[in-house]
Amino acid sequence: MDELIYTLKQQIIEALNLEDMKPEDIDENASLFGEGLGLDSIDALELIVMMEKNYGIKLQDPAKGKEIFKSVAVMADFIAKNRTK
Amino acid sequence: MIKHQVFISPNEVKVDGKALTHNEKGSALLTELYRNHIGDYPKFFKMDTLSKLGFIASELLLNIEGDRSFEPREDRAVILFNRNASLQADTHYQSTIQDPGSFFPSPAAFVYTLPNIVTGEISIRNKYFGETSFIVIDDYDEQIIMKNLKNAFQDPMTTSIIGGWVDCSDEEHFEATLFLVYKF
Amino acid sequence: MIVCVAHNIISPLSSTSAENYAAVKAGMSALKKYDGLWGLPEPFVASLLDRNKFTNEKYTLDEQVVIISISKALEQTNINVQSSKVLFIISTTKGNVFLLDKRETGFPQERVRLGMMARQVTKHFGNPNEPIVVSNACISGVCAQIEAMRYLESGEYDYVIVCGVDIQSAFIVSGFQSFKALSPDECKPFDANRQGLNLGDAAATIIYTKKDKVNDNEWVACRGAIRNDANHISGPSRTGEGSFRALRIALGDLEPEKIAFINAHGTATLYNDEMESIAIERAGLAGVPVNSLKGYYGHTMGAAGVLETIISMQAVDDHNILGSRGFETLGVTHPIDVSNQNRTTEKRAFIKLLSGFGGCNAALLMAKGGLL
Repeated sequence: MDELIYTLKQQIIEALNLEDMKPEDIDENASLFGEGLGLDSIDALELIVMMEKNYGIKLQDPAKGKEIFKSVAVMADFIAKNRTK
Repeated sequence: MIKHQVFISPNEVKVDGKALTHNEKGSALLTELYRNHIGDYPKFFKMDTLSKLGFIASELLLNIEGDRSFEPREDRAVILFNRNASLQADTHYQSTIQDPGSFFPSPAAFVYTLPNIVTGEISIRNKYFGETSFIVIDDYDEQIIMKNLKNAFQDPMTTSIIGGWVDCSDEEHFEATLFLVYKF
Repeated sequence: MIVCVAHNIISPLSSTSAENYAAVKAGMSALKKYDGLWGLPEPFVASLLDRNKFTNEKYTLDEQVVIISISKALEQTNINVQSSKVLFIISTTKGNVFLLDKRETGFPQERVRLGMMARQVTKHFGNPNEPIVVSNACISGVCAQIEAMRYLESGEYDYVIVCGVDIQSAFIVSGFQSFKALSPDECKPFDANRQGLNLGDAAATIIYTKKDKVNDNEWVACRGAIRNDANHISGPSRTGEGSFRALRIALGDLEPEKIAFINAHGTATLYNDEMESIAIERAGLAGVPVNSLKGYYGHTMGAAGVLETIISMQAVDDHNILGSRGFETLGVTHPIDVSNQNRTTEKRAFIKLLSGFGGCNAALLMAKGGLL
C-alpha cells in the first residue's frame, strides 16, 4: 500500500501540474480539495482520466469522485480494490 | 491613450520600451519571468502557453501601473487579439485523442482550447468583472487593434483596457505586445 | 440606431430563417443519438448536418455553410458586398479544428487558423476588408453582434455581416465528454432532471446597418454588454456575477414589463441553468418569461448567439414566446418563469443571454421598432 500511495502522489503531481511539489509534501490523509491541496473541479475531472489511464478504472458519475478523492489514502484504497491494470 | 506597454518574445522582454534582463529563452523564459516577478500564483503552471504569456505580460503591465490592490472592479476590460487562437492547446488536446489505442481526452487540456481563457485568467487574478473578449485576425495589424479598442470604450462602464496582441503557435514560439489603454 | 436588414439560419432543421422558426414553433428537433460516429467510444446525442449534402471540395464544411448562409441573407438585400464599406465578422469557437486530426488530408493545415478560414469567405464574396473573427467561447455570437454595433456606431462601415458557425467533430464532442457535460439523452433545459447539454451544427447570419429612423417592423439592436465572472475558467459563478452585470446593462432604464422574454443560454448543465436563474432574479427580471432553444438545436457554440437572436426576433414578430423543448419541472433554486408550451405575447422586445468558458457572459437587448 505504501508503494501505491507514493506512486499515486507522483501521478497526481504530474497529472495536475503541481509544480514545485514533491510526493513528500503531500500528506496522504489530508483533503485534496478545498483546504489541503486546494484542487478544483477541472482537477477532479483530470483525476478521473488519470485513474482510467493508469488503473483501468472507469468512473461514470463524477459526483462519486467526491468520496474517492477525499485524500490520497482513500484514493489508494479505492484503486487497490477496483483496479483492472 | 496608451499608458504602458509590454513586449515579450522568446528572446526579448521590454517594459515601456526598456529591456528587462533575463537568462532564459522560449518557454523557460516565461517560467523565469514568473519566478522573478510574480511567484505567488501556482495556477500559472496549469496554464497553456497562451495563458502563461498573456498572464505574465499583464502582470508586468500592472506592476508598472503600480496599483495592485486586487479590489473588484468593472471599469477595466481585457480585450486580446492574435493569429493562432488556441493552436498550442488545440494541438496538445488533439494528442490526447489521436491514437484510438490510447484515447484519454484530457479535460485540463480541453479547457484551454479556447483563446479567450487567457482573458478569464487575467480577470480572475485581478477580480475584473468588466468586458473580456478575444478576436482573431490573420496578421498583426495595429490599426485594426487600436480601432477595435477605441470602439470598446462605447461600453458605458469601461474606462481602461488591457489590450493587444498575445499569440503563440507552440510552446517555444510566441509574441505579446500588450497595452494599458485609457479612454481617449 | 443599429438595424437588422436580413438574416438566415442553416441548421439540420432547414436552410432558411422562416422554415427554421416554423419547425421550432411546431416543436421539431434535430437531436439524435449517435453511436460509434467518428470513432468515438461513447455514444452521444447531437443535432448534426447531413455531411453528404455539402460536396464542394474547395471549401471545408464550416466554410461552405458560412458561404451559403451569408449568400442567402444577401439575396434579401441589394448590398454591394465588394465594397470596402462592408465588414465581415465571423463568430466561431473551433472553426476548422478537425484539420488537426492527422487522418485529415483534404485541406492545407493553415486553414485551421480562424483568420485564414474567414479569408476564404471574404475572398469568395470579393470583399476587400480583413475579416474579424470573434472567438469568445460560447458567447461569441452575441459578442460579434456587439462588435458590429460598435463598428457601425463609429461610422466606419455601412454594413456589417455577422455570421456565427461551428461544426461538431470528434475534437469537440470528446472534450465535452471529458468534462462530463453531455447529456445521455435529449437535453432538458432548467429541468429538475437535466443531465447536461447536447451539441449542434449550425451557421447563422445577421446583416446590420445604421439608420436614423426605423419603422415599426424593423428590428433594432439596442444595447449589449459583455462581463466576466472573475471566478473560474470553466465553472459558472455561484452568484451569477457576470450574467447579472451584463443583464443590468442590457436592460438599462427599460421597464421589465416591456420585455416579452429572456432567451437564456439554458444549456441544461446543472450549473449553467442554476447560475442563470440567480442572475435573472438579481437583475430584477424574475417576472419575465425565460426560454431556451437548446432542446431544438443543441448547443451550436459560435452560432448560438446569432441563431437564437434570429429565432427570437421571429417569435416576437409572431407574438409568440417559444416553449423550451425538454423542460418539464423547474429545477433551479430561483423562481423563474419557464414553460414547454408556446405562449402569446404582444410585447416587442427581448433579451438574448449567453455565458461561456473563461467566465464570460453577454446580454443583448433587441426591440422591434426601437425603444420609444
